Amino acid sequence: MEIEYEPRQHYSESEKQNIFNNEFMPHIHSMYNFGYRLTLDRDDAKDLVQDTYLKAYRFIESFQKGTNAKAWLFRILKNSFINDYRKKSKEPSKVDYQEVETYYNSEEVDRQITPDLRVESLKDMIGDEISNALNALDVDFRTVIILCDLEGFKYEEMAKILDIPIGTVRSRLHRARNLLKEKLKSYAKSMGYNNA
Amino acid sequence: MATSPNPFIQADGKKPTCMEMLQTILDGEATDEQRVYFKQHMDHCMPCYKEYNVDIAIKELLKAKCCGGNCPDGLADQIKAKINSTSA
Repeated sequence: MEIEYEPRQHYSESEKQNIFNNEFMPHIHSMYNFGYRLTLDRDDAKDLVQDTYLKAYRFIESFQKGTNAKAWLFRILKNSFINDYRKKSKEPSKVDYQEVETYYNSEEVDRQITPDLRVESLKDMIGDEISNALNALDVDFRTVIILCDLEGFKYEEMAKILDIPIGTVRSRLHRARNLLKEKLKSYAKSMGYNNA
Repeated sequence: MATSPNPFIQADGKKPTCMEMLQTILDGEATDEQRVYFKQHMDHCMPCYKEYNVDIAIKELLKAKCCGGNCPDGLADQIKAKINSTSA
């Protein structure tokens, strides 16, 4: 779904600058991290962030001053990623997440895959294990973890950013957490924790 | 045993599973009342206690290791310069 870019506000040039500098720019570091985690490439992330900010400025009159700028910007970035970057992504196409979601949807599977991971083994992951595990997730699962655990967005905000129902946000987060644990469990095993 | 009514019970009366309660907590969607209830629940539910600690450790690890630092120097200025040149 495309973002609604209908201008609903009327801002003077100085108001536009003010909103841009005080409401949009403070999120640049989070935006860059989101862009990097989506593209897994620092140059692509830079381009994606730049495109997002230029778009945000161009459509600033569809943003209501004082509302949730961060969620609005994240939504633009996510849409730009899907429309402009995902198509030319170097990543090989992965399993359709819908299929994965359906597969993992049974309680029985949950029980089987919930790994017996221990806090002690996680404490020893001081290198890139967690980052690699996150990056190895399918982009749709990766995204919900970033939005919830790194950025602290609520279900309602995530639903708007991703254009999916709240119930899907919740179930996708659940699957994402289980898949991440699976990956961490294999790292723990390779680090010598037999009963990870 | 927790004696207060379970605040996770939805309007339809369905009793939540441990996993559902834990997820509400982890996803940052729990009310204060639900958090208190879950803390009491963990006192007598070992699987929840273990799972909760692992999940919180993962969340902390993610925050510590995946927030990626700052965006490249000059990017903010580059963006502002582009905007000024197009809006001028």
